[in-house]
Amino acid sequence: MNTLIRAFLLLSATLGSVLAQAVPPALPPADPGVIDFEKDVRPILAEACWKCHNAAKQRGGVRLDDRKALLAGGNSGAIVEVGQSAKSRLIAVVAGHDEEMKMPPSGPSLTAKQVGILRAWIDQGLKLPTTRIVDGIASSSSHWAFQPIRRPSVPRLGENTLHPVDAFIQARLAEEHVRPAPEADRTTLLRRVYLDLTGLPPTPSEVEAFLKDASPDAYEKIVDHLLASPHYGEKWARHWLDAARYADSDGYEKDTGRPYAWRYRDWVISALNADKPFDAFTIEQLAGDLLPNATPAQKIATGFHRQTLTNKEGGVDQEEFRVAAVVDRVSTTATVWLGLTVACAQCHDHKYDPISHREFYQIFAYFDSDVETNISAPLPEEVATLPAKRAEWERKHQELTEALALAKKEKRTAAELKKREKALADHAKTAPQPTPAMTLALGPTRATHVMMRGDFLRPGVAVKSGTPAVLPGGDRTANGNRLDLARWLVSQDNPLTARVMVNWVWQKYFGRGLVATLNDFGTQGEKPSHPELLDWLAAEFRDPARCHWSWKKLHRLIVTSATYKQSSADRPELRDRDPLNVWLARQNRLRLPAELIRDSALAASGLLTRTIGGPSVRPPQPAGISELTYAGSAKWATSTGSARYRRGLYIWFQRTSPYPMLMTFDSPDSNVCVMRREQSNTPLQALTLLNDTVFVELAQALAKRVLLERAGKPVSEQLTYAVLLVLGRRPTPVERQRLERLLGDFQILAAKEPQAAQKLAGSVPPQGVSPAEVAAWVALARTLMNLDEFVTRE
Amino acid sequence: MHPHAEQLLRDRRHFLTTSANGVGLLALAALLTEDGRLSAANAVVSPLAPKPPHFPAKAKNCICIYLEGAPSQLDLFDPKPKLNALHGQKLPESFTKNVRFAFLQKDTATVMGSPRQWKKYGQCGMELSDFLPHLGSVADEIAWVRSMHTEAFNHHPGQLLMNTGSTMFGRPSMGSWLNYGLGSVAKNLPGYVVLSAGRGTSGGTSNWGSGFLPSPYAGTLFRNQGEPVLNLANPEGLSDAMQARTIEAIRDLNGVRHARIGDAEIESRVAAYELAFRMQSAAPDLIDLSQEDQSTMDAYGINRSEPEIQAHRGGGKGQFRQFATNCLLARRLVERGVRFVSLFHASWDHHSNLDSELQHNSLMADQPVAALIRDLKQRGLLDETLVLWLSEFGRTPLGENRRGRAGVTGRDHHPYAFTVWMAGGGVKGGTILGTTDEIGWNVTTDPVHINDLHATILHLFGMDHKKLTYRFQGRDFRLTDVAGNVVTKLLA
Repeated sequence: MNTLIRAFLLLSATLGSVLAQAVPPALPPADPGVIDFEKDVRPILAEACWKCHNAAKQRGGVRLDDRKALLAGGNSGAIVEVGQSAKSRLIAVVAGHDEEMKMPPSGPSLTAKQVGILRAWIDQGLKLPTTRIVDGIASSSSHWAFQPIRRPSVPRLGENTLHPVDAFIQARLAEEHVRPAPEADRTTLLRRVYLDLTGLPPTPSEVEAFLKDASPDAYEKIVDHLLASPHYGEKWARHWLDAARYADSDGYEKDTGRPYAWRYRDWVISALNADKPFDAFTIEQLAGDLLPNATPAQKIATGFHRQTLTNKEGGVDQEEFRVAAVVDRVSTTATVWLGLTVACAQCHDHKYDPISHREFYQIFAYFDSDVETNISAPLPEEVATLPAKRAEWERKHQELTEALALAKKEKRTAAELKKREKALADHAKTAPQPTPAMTLALGPTRATHVMMRGDFLRPGVAVKSGTPAVLPGGDRTANGNRLDLARWLVSQDNPLTARVMVNWVWQKYFGRGLVATLNDFGTQGEKPSHPELLDWLAAEFRDPARCHWSWKKLHRLIVTSATYKQSSADRPELRDRDPLNVWLARQNRLRLPAELIRDSALAASGLLTRTIGGPSVRPPQPAGISELTYAGSAKWATSTGSARYRRGLYIWFQRTSPYPMLMTFDSPDSNVCVMRREQSNTPLQALTLLNDTVFVELAQALAKRVLLERAGKPVSEQLTYAVLLVLGRRPTPVERQRLERLLGDFQILAAKEPQAAQKLAGSVPPQGVSPAEVAAWVALARTLMNLDEFVTRE
Repeated sequence: MHPHAEQLLRDRRHFLTTSANGVGLLALAALLTEDGRLSAANAVVSPLAPKPPHFPAKAKNCICIYLEGAPSQLDLFDPKPKLNALHGQKLPESFTKNVRFAFLQKDTATVMGSPRQWKKYGQCGMELSDFLPHLGSVADEIAWVRSMHTEAFNHHPGQLLMNTGSTMFGRPSMGSWLNYGLGSVAKNLPGYVVLSAGRGTSGGTSNWGSGFLPSPYAGTLFRNQGEPVLNLANPEGLSDAMQARTIEAIRDLNGVRHARIGDAEIESRVAAYELAFRMQSAAPDLIDLSQEDQSTMDAYGINRSEPEIQAHRGGGKGQFRQFATNCLLARRLVERGVRFVSLFHASWDHHSNLDSELQHNSLMADQPVAALIRDLKQRGLLDETLVLWLSEFGRTPLGENRRGRAGVTGRDHHPYAFTVWMAGGGVKGGTILGTTDEIGWNVTTDPVHINDLHATILHLFGMDHKKLTYRFQGRDFRLTDVAGNVVTKLLA
């Protein structure tokens, strides 16, 4: 015999004996007596089993208080075989004979006598009383977030009629005997609301106009103007794209580009600009493809769940990564719309929340049959021009076909035939095609199973789609599809979606949600700081007579409150009492998101390209970044012309080598859904703003802009203009003094090294200004764009 | 305070960063507290301030040498004469049944022998192939683990599993966990530095990311060309004097703002700018090897000649110098208090031309890695520095007969048994742990899973892998997920 085979047999023999040793002695014998359920069995089950396996709670999908449920088994299959106790898994697990688990998991094991009684109970026909035998715990939960949304009445404070948001906030402050902060000064307020609604700072002339407008509704006019701006859609799309884990590449290994991912990004921007109501916004993203007569735009919207990672590595088990993508779709849906972390339930019953292992796969079933697909989705200009191009192409195609036929008929030379064939084939490749988009569609129906411990190779019992039982209204979605799920999410029955969404929006304005744990409204999450305000906002957002799911109305409601308009200056007297500013006795200062830091610098420098939408761009990045990708597979062809100066949200996002500036300022890695970004404060950020070539170029542009637009003016006026461009306000006398001194220092240093100054000044200095002077101004402009205030929404 | 409130407070006050150490900023925090501007409850604690371990331990720093692509254990660390005897024969189906391969066609695959010569080294008698004579000379400092196994058999998930404990994206890497658990004492440098040579790894930055941990715990990639940290150099034409004036003015103007607004975050930013300024000189000082004597340079083989090779798996010329330099830089980083240094080299993915390409890579790595161990030992740093040699999996005893490729000259991915090693930092040198079967297919004794390896690494730093947790999405995460046992046989 081949030595290797012998070695292998030896190995298996050894393994076999190890297994043999692991098998414990035989099962305790079945009790010989006649079993009485009430007297013999109930005490055992009540003591050891029912805590986790009852009408309300079925750990592992197992219920032990009902004969039908006992016969149905658990997530991994049958647990009893009537009359065959030795073959029943229930007996194996309580007797310690099962390889995978032992029951009960803690506390004393069953005695041999108790096991014998359960054996006899099974052998004698598994008799149970038909009436309810356990006092069931209510199958709904008393947890606050799962209760219906009621519209609380707005508190009345004194005689003045307050903005409802302020009434709730100030009622709480009054309890603490704290007065709200005064309104922020006008320039701070203007820059705040510009950045919050459009992500761009006000221009100096917009600042001046606002300061001059003495009308009582000057601020409200600005709010309406900003909500109507197309930049509003850009700003809020970026928040949503974090939740959608949007990126321009596959993720794993070669991290192949997704050249049409931007179609989904642009859908979000235009949906927000059109103020598509949140219910339609939801339905189209989760199930646009299933709507009757779905439009290409509705199918593009369904690209929301196409943003998951893809692995094309050699030999990859496609099923493994398909399942991983579906799991991500379940988790993301639950996080974004329900504020629930269901990831635990992928592997086992959720420890804290009443979402079971089986229910996770019921949600999974909604997405299980989806396939990833690309559709042809012509752009508006293609709709107009494509038919003509197509006709022209067909005319030529016809011409070439006929010419070839003729040549054949005339029996021309082989060489000539070949030439004509090639011409036809080449032409065929140039057929005008509409721009495609990536999305999901319903594929062949798959039978969904519970996956034991989340392992796709270990299917448990079959399940049908359904929403978590703890949330009302789900019965209508049982056995439904994605469209049913989406409709239920935005139905009046579901109390979570509206709460979760207003909380998400609130966090963007105040840095902290009314529920601090944005993605955990479950029992482990934080309780709301202002529960009535949360419910009032949720009701307001959802009710047909009020906002009726209008994002813009919700934004207007919040930003016109005095609470939003408060000064963000620290209040030392409250530091100990309210260190996290939960009561909102002032606004919070927020570090700008990465993209907005870039946008602000572009706007200040005057280089910003204000085009909306289109393919992603590649602004300059330091050398050696894309080389980090697999075999340098992601080439970075730096964008030129105006594309170089587009807003941060249009930067191509390569998952394995993201644009460094974005990552340094806490952009999410886009691999999983993110509801709230980190806000770090690091030296790498300092180095980026100080030295990154992009920011140096913008400092050069800003310096030249000041020198050009304020040519021949006194230095103090030039400095004022620079500060106005960068910070949206005039400098204080102390600041102006300090900046004048700094400019003087820079002028002296720049004059000492003319060659260096030339380099710092960059190309094309303004006429009549020496390179040293420009260099000093570049250094000054750079200093301004490194101030804390510049990267902060005050 | 509620843990979440603490977290929020910390988020708000990310004083410190990848490059910061606690000292300067803690002093600043103390000043502010004395000043009455920060209450005690509100005092700023740097996320990277040094923290005590769970229990006393030897390891203070880690140098993790990661050979991306999977070096062949059968041609370096785990001699299998039987492979030569069976060369060209098919394996019984029982071996390959239910086994998936990346490229190998299992119906026709045959066993591939190894032409390597083997020799026993040191008192421990570790057998190594003729590709690794220098490592042989320090064999007694090293604990060899021949019984590693993993469940991932594709590169990216495999790398994530080895570096972060999970095949899924978005988990913190080992270095992030250690900086989170212990902080950093590095004065002017990040607590977690990544160096790389050769082409990029297929895992990219996810191999040294902080995942759901806050960003100051992420590895900072020091680049192997030009400046070691991105944006370290002043803009062209801007002198150091101008940079100094800039930093001063930023401090003053932010100070004016702070006087009116009173947010501690403004002071954090001032501190970050001053640290950035210090890093601008500290990082070039780090890479200035003129401070090293010639014998050290020679020991690491910095200026060795690099043989020509007709393959581009490794990403072109210049890797010998780069890899050796990285080994020396690793020592210099550890001397400066950097907690975790990762050295990546790609690629060792020898699906074909294994003999010549593995020889090339081994020649590159063998001398500098051995020199690093000897150098650390001579300077008294080896006791407190854990050196790791890791990869995502091993290579198959079967030759790879990929479709469309003439001849069998390489091996496919093999997760069931492979070799890693560790040295220093409280590891028992000269240990040879674990065995594999006659052909190196399966582990036969002392299996070590990646979770076990991670548990052991944390243990060497005085951290209980079950207690080092971070709450995210409603659950407490660990480097070892829900598994892992400390491998006590590896401990001194």
